[in-house]
Amino acid sequence: MSAKPGIPRNSLIWLLVAQVLVILPHLAHLPLWIIGLWLGCAAWRVQIFRMRARYPNSWLKAALMIGAGFGVYLSRGSLVGLEAGVVLLIAAFILKLVEMRSRRDALVLIFLGFFAVVTSYLFEDGLLAGLYSLLPVTALLAAMIGLQQSSLVTRPWPTVRLAGALLLQAVPLMLVLFLFFPRLAPLWSLPQPSERGVTGLADHMAPGDIARLGQSAALAFRASFDGEIPPRDQLYWRAVTFERFDGRRWSQSFASQVPQEPEWEPAGEPLGYSIVMQPSGQPWLFALDVPRLEPGQAQMMADFHLQRRQPVNQPLLYRATSWPQARREAGSAPRSLERALQLPEQGNPRSRAWAAQLRRSARTPQAVVDALLVHFNRQPYRYTLTPPPVGTHIVDDFLFDTRSGFCAHYAGAMTFVLRAAGIPARVVAGYQGGEVNPAGNYLSVRQFDAHAWVEYWVAGRGWVSVDPTFQVAPERVEQGLEQALASEQSFLAEEPMSLLRYRDIGWLNEWRLRWDSLNYGWQRWVLNYRGEQQLQVLQRWFGRLDGQALGLGLVAAVALLVGVLALLLFKPWRRESDVQQRLFQRFERLLARHGVWRQAGEGARSFAARAASMLPGQAAAIVEFVRLYEQQRYAQQPAAADELARALRRLRRALPWRFAQPGERS
Amino acid sequence: MRTRLDACLRAVNEVLLGKDAQVRLALACLLARGHLLVEDMPGMGKTTLSHALAKVLGLEFQRIQFTSDLLPGDILGTSVFDRDSGQFVFHPGPIFAELILADEINRATPKSQSALLEAMEEGQVTIEGATRPLPEPFFVIATQNPVSSGGTFALPESQLDRFLMRVSLGYPARAAEKALLLGEARRDLLTRLQPLLEQAELLAIQDAVARVRVSDALVDYVLRLAEATRTQPQFAWGLSPRGSLALLAAARAWAFLDGRDYVIPEDVQAVLPTVVGHRLRERADATGHGGGALVQWLLREVPAL
Repeated sequence: MSAKPGIPRNSLIWLLVAQVLVILPHLAHLPLWIIGLWLGCAAWRVQIFRMRARYPNSWLKAALMIGAGFGVYLSRGSLVGLEAGVVLLIAAFILKLVEMRSRRDALVLIFLGFFAVVTSYLFEDGLLAGLYSLLPVTALLAAMIGLQQSSLVTRPWPTVRLAGALLLQAVPLMLVLFLFFPRLAPLWSLPQPSERGVTGLADHMAPGDIARLGQSAALAFRASFDGEIPPRDQLYWRAVTFERFDGRRWSQSFASQVPQEPEWEPAGEPLGYSIVMQPSGQPWLFALDVPRLEPGQAQMMADFHLQRRQPVNQPLLYRATSWPQARREAGSAPRSLERALQLPEQGNPRSRAWAAQLRRSARTPQAVVDALLVHFNRQPYRYTLTPPPVGTHIVDDFLFDTRSGFCAHYAGAMTFVLRAAGIPARVVAGYQGGEVNPAGNYLSVRQFDAHAWVEYWVAGRGWVSVDPTFQVAPERVEQGLEQALASEQSFLAEEPMSLLRYRDIGWLNEWRLRWDSLNYGWQRWVLNYRGEQQLQVLQRWFGRLDGQALGLGLVAAVALLVGVLALLLFKPWRRESDVQQRLFQRFERLLARHGVWRQAGEGARSFAARAASMLPGQAAAIVEFVRLYEQQRYAQQPAAADELARALRRLRRALPWRFAQPGERS
Repeated sequence: MRTRLDACLRAVNEVLLGKDAQVRLALACLLARGHLLVEDMPGMGKTTLSHALAKVLGLEFQRIQFTSDLLPGDILGTSVFDRDSGQFVFHPGPIFAELILADEINRATPKSQSALLEAMEEGQVTIEGATRPLPEPFFVIATQNPVSSGGTFALPESQLDRFLMRVSLGYPARAAEKALLLGEARRDLLTRLQPLLEQAELLAIQDAVARVRVSDALVDYVLRLAEATRTQPQFAWGLSPRGSLALLAAARAWAFLDGRDYVIPEDVQAVLPTVVGHRLRERADATGHGGGALVQWLLREVPAL
């Protein structure tokens, strides 16, 4: 132990600081005992440094390790998986603190720290998290610097300043790598943390589901339009359609998940926009009707929704163009009509009877729709996040008894009645509206903007969208959920800390919007700068190039850089003239391996004399080499490197073979 | 020629016991056409050394005892009116000899000191408008008491620089001193010394010394040494180019005495303390001169290869 270089005070200070900074962002998903573990280990470490405590022996180390493993298992129910893995990593990161003895151990700890910083991006990769991680990285760098003996060794502040300067110097390299380094897709699928990407639309809808989403202020996606942002009441973002009804739940039909683009014809002005979508854990993308994406992003399914092969588990950027006035399946009756008329065999008798009556009194399907909308408008229906419970016949109970519900209730009930009246219809789920951010001129759509509406099919016009909620609570569509729920005071009742609740405080709202805009830029230009995005930017600068050319170019650039550095470092133009010098250095290294080091001010001859006295068996060979060296170097005899090399070989043969000096490392 | 030089060294060593290194350095100094400054307490053998060297090398010897009332004319000589010829006739002073012992040089006034020092540098003297060359070879061995002694005028740096080497004899070793006490009187030994070199031989040796080879690599070492004295903070000032030249010349002579016709770093290191010591001053030591510690630092830290 005493022979190994220990860990200087300076380095220890920064290591402790770095540990705190590394662990802090993880706290949200760490069990509480980790804090206790860190406090205990840090105190122990400090006591070791003050020579008041000893290092743990192997038994204690084993016990601590097994204890930590048990702790992870108890608090996470597993030792594998992302969350348990991260807890295990942090526990190891902390335990290594009391176990580290040598400089090498400290280096392991520092590298573990860097790794733990990276793992925190799995949970949070926002702008703030990115900026924050500069702090632990600086502290870790400072610890690394402190580990090397230098004049800074006892002063923490110059160390951290140096670390900061190093980070700053790394910025240009970082930018170059950011721009040019190809983003490789992960070789294995990365599990998603369970608390992330959970909120959002599901592939089925019971009446209360969307109301639950209404409580969440989590971001769903952001959209930037090429031109003006269209008015709110035209922003119906389609996610999925629900065609099957089993009496309680609406769900997707299998037939509508076939990647087969239905027949439609563009009409009117197209709208161009790009969307940065938050991870949803679902494969579908959001778009206004009727969208067309760049090829390869996703496919349009038989019911006009967009779907990818894999679920969206990372923020996703895509561009879309929509024709809001397009006519959809307006020609002959499509096959999907059969699915759009499906109803359970029994249930909701009152609604069925009412539908039959409506169908009889109206001459056209359109008249039935109009009558229904008028009904919702005139009768005392109430729009609420917290509807009273309903019985088995959920449509009947809602239409005739409770008359209060959220958008899903209205859309579900209207689809049911239309189908009962023989009109093909389906529920469309998605988002409606969004918040315009004037700071960045884009739209933020949050989970509470989730919405459900209806589309029905009429011969000649094709599919037509209609929103029954608009008849009950027009402010929901025109102004948003908050206004629609103004009387109820239930907007984001479960998220008291959400800044969205305080939108009426001017400066706070402005600040929130600006921050949101910054985050959006971060997502769009930093996190999403990969794959296609990166290629596009680089193609704009360098013309056509593909991933392979990019990779080759990068390798070439790195090779060039390394080459230039090597040139500057080894100075080959000096080598030729210094061939004796090179051989002499080899001679020195050879003798150093046998324990004879030359002092800086020691000439060749005095060094040889000393070496010869220390290695009397090889004295002749040593003296002979140095004699030749002196002759060539000082007597200006013609340089004969091979002669010198031969003398060196003779000496090497005379000496026993040794790779390193014994005792140098123990 | 080298055997003759070795014989010279042996002969001097027989008179000056136990001072082989200093004798060798003094001889190297003369071979490099440099002047020697011997600094030590009275009675350490300074005069014996210079006497012995003069005798052995077969040089015409003059001794000037410097005192505080010594005048430049006493050194250089004066013109005296000769009544017979009715002209002024120049009477050369003691400086017109091949080897001058300037004893206790720092007891004279600066005016007299500079008369000698100018002659040393230029190899000629100008008296009353006429320039007279000094004999060839021309050596000065000056002795001085340590600076701290009373009644001295310390030589300024500019004049110290004129001496190629400054050696200090030091107390003899016990065995050497015992032999000295038991042996004959030094004065008798000196008178019995025979010249071992002809004047022409000495000049030839001096030429040979100047031709000793100095490689690029070695000059680089000398430059590194000079560079270190100029850049490192502990040096009050750096080594002058004259200092570098002196170092190289002395190293050549040392290599020649060692029987080589090329210089190696060890030669430079051997003469470095005596050549450079009196030309450097430690920054921290504002009054005294003598860079003993500095020279040790140079030997230790400046890469030799």
